[in-house]
Amino acid sequence: MSDRQLADWRQHALTLESEVNKVVVGQSNPIRLITISIFARGHVLLEGDVGVGKTTLLRAIARGVGGAYQRIEGTIDLMPNDLVYHTYLGEDGKPHVSPGPILEAGEDLSIFFFNEINRARPQVHSLLLRVMAERTLTAFNKEHHFPHMLVFADRNQVEKEETFDIPSAARDRFMMEIPIVVPADQSIMESLVFDTRFHNVDKLVDGVPQNILQYKDLNGFAAQLQDSISASPALRQYALELWKATKKPMDYGVKVSGVDMSRLVLSGASPRGMAMLLRAARVNAWLNERSAVIPDDIHAVFHETIAHRVVFSPVYEMRRTEIAREMLDGIVSAVAAP
Amino acid sequence: MQPSHTIQRIFIHLLSLSALCCSQPLLADVILPSVDDKFIELTVEDPTRDAGYVVGDILNRTVTITIKKPYELIEESLPIIGYEHRYKGEVSGIELVGIDKKTTTATDSETHVLDLSYQVFKTHRVAKPAALPAEILKLRNTQNPKEIVQYRIPSFNFRISPLSLIGQIKLAQEMYPFTPPLTLDTNKAMLHIKLLAGLLALSMLGLLYILGTRAWLPRMGAPFARAYREVKKLDDSPDGIKQAVSCVHAAMNKTAGMSLFSHNLAELLDSKPTFKPAQYEIEKFFGFSHQVFFEDCSQPLNSVNPRAWLLTLCRHLRDCERGLVPDIMQGDYT
Repeated sequence: MSDRQLADWRQHALTLESEVNKVVVGQSNPIRLITISIFARGHVLLEGDVGVGKTTLLRAIARGVGGAYQRIEGTIDLMPNDLVYHTYLGEDGKPHVSPGPILEAGEDLSIFFFNEINRARPQVHSLLLRVMAERTLTAFNKEHHFPHMLVFADRNQVEKEETFDIPSAARDRFMMEIPIVVPADQSIMESLVFDTRFHNVDKLVDGVPQNILQYKDLNGFAAQLQDSISASPALRQYALELWKATKKPMDYGVKVSGVDMSRLVLSGASPRGMAMLLRAARVNAWLNERSAVIPDDIHAVFHETIAHRVVFSPVYEMRRTEIAREMLDGIVSAVAAP
Repeated sequence: MQPSHTIQRIFIHLLSLSALCCSQPLLADVILPSVDDKFIELTVEDPTRDAGYVVGDILNRTVTITIKKPYELIEESLPIIGYEHRYKGEVSGIELVGIDKKTTTATDSETHVLDLSYQVFKTHRVAKPAALPAEILKLRNTQNPKEIVQYRIPSFNFRISPLSLIGQIKLAQEMYPFTPPLTLDTNKAMLHIKLLAGLLALSMLGLLYILGTRAWLPRMGAPFARAYREVKKLDDSPDGIKQAVSCVHAAMNKTAGMSLFSHNLAELLDSKPTFKPAQYEIEKFFGFSHQVFFEDCSQPLNSVNPRAWLLTLCRHLRDCERGLVPDIMQGDYT
């Protein structure tokens, strides 16, 4: 791929970022991470409290990426078939079957947004696992392909009633789990409350230009991008050391306050997780106009790509967010590169 | 007169004479009544010290006694030179060797100043108490010559020290005032002390070397001082440059107490502000390190002489860790 192509696409990516930043203020880092996911072709799980702008953010991104956008709300009585089709009695009094949100747009589906994914049953998670992993679905005696689809899901971390914890296998399908928090900047907080621009979400999202990215070209470009950004032997060694450290943090002298480190980690990052980490790091290097990955690129996406993949002892699961952050910070501090 | 009568008479005379001779000392030892103190004023100047006297030493004592009338001093009662005092039947060993008397007469009294010199004629193996004897002066009442009274000049107590005599004692064991203490041969002991002191000094230096993380001077073992020495030993080859960059990275990590990267450099600068003057150079170093370790190896390095630049960087950072302000170059890698 020529440098010019890389530069053109980078310009598109930065434009997308810039436009979304105008709509969702104070979330520049999550927006950068979502941009990375789009170009690394990874699914994203957003995590945050109620009303912090997760849905608005994803809608704005979907509008900028272009292609078909579908959305479904996770509820406790949602069944897998609700994603595939729905039935109704038509005006003619006969039963009809219509494609569900996944099938409706066919191959043009670019963003599938699953709102409050942790309210859905494990059966739904199971279906989603396949769609996310293979981007295919068998329905009506036919295999449907969604080559451009990215799944964006969000979950409310606060509410635990009538929710189903997402199993580690399902979490591992997501390239990143991105925390969304209320911006700490006083002026941004004031704008969010008093600026009437932010009160009408539909109008706000409509402010993002459509089809900034050519979604149909994204897969091809993403593959070429991965080939264009190199990873030196020193960086590979560093990434391997990080991987080992996620499995045995004690060996690297990593400590987490109030935690028995010998019992903490049941399973470190998966090979798929590490591959996703390096894919995301390459995109970050490209966005920063580098032709090779450096440790800073890995650090930029390390927490978001690894934290949700590490499996902790059940006794520590309730404190997952806090422990994972401290442990991964410790790993970054403990492992030297070179 | 018959011869037998003559012999008998002679015998009787001899018997009487001998009885008279024997009775004289008894008369001298008769204890007279003491004079009333109101007739006497006494001042005594004793020797200034009461210890440390040995055989042969002379002790001087001045007695000033004023006797008021009607009493007067009986000159014969003054102590006699050479008279040996006894105490509990034993010779005291303190002998009067000189007496000088001066008398001043007033209308109602006489003042006698007696300069008495006593010599010690006694020695012991250990220190023993002794005393200048209490002299008894006899006084006569001039209005009643039959009344004889006495006045006692108090004694002076002191200690006689032993006087070691050659042949009687072993000089190596007992001190002798006229010879300095015998010295032991300390050459061998001194040699041992010197050897042990040398050994101790070497041990202390070794310990200092170990505790100072193998550095002789303060901060010589600090991370960047060590890195500077290591980089100096490396060559200009690509491997040498990589090793040098690794050394600097290791020093930075050790100084920061964590793995330091360009994005968390601020943590080092916040915790160790002495490195702030070198911020520009450190940032350049990270760029250089990325070029060496992570970027395309076929591209030439941005620095003309990377080893020299790394050495300069190490020296500047060493100055920073010593609290000095380095002379930072603001140019590029060259």
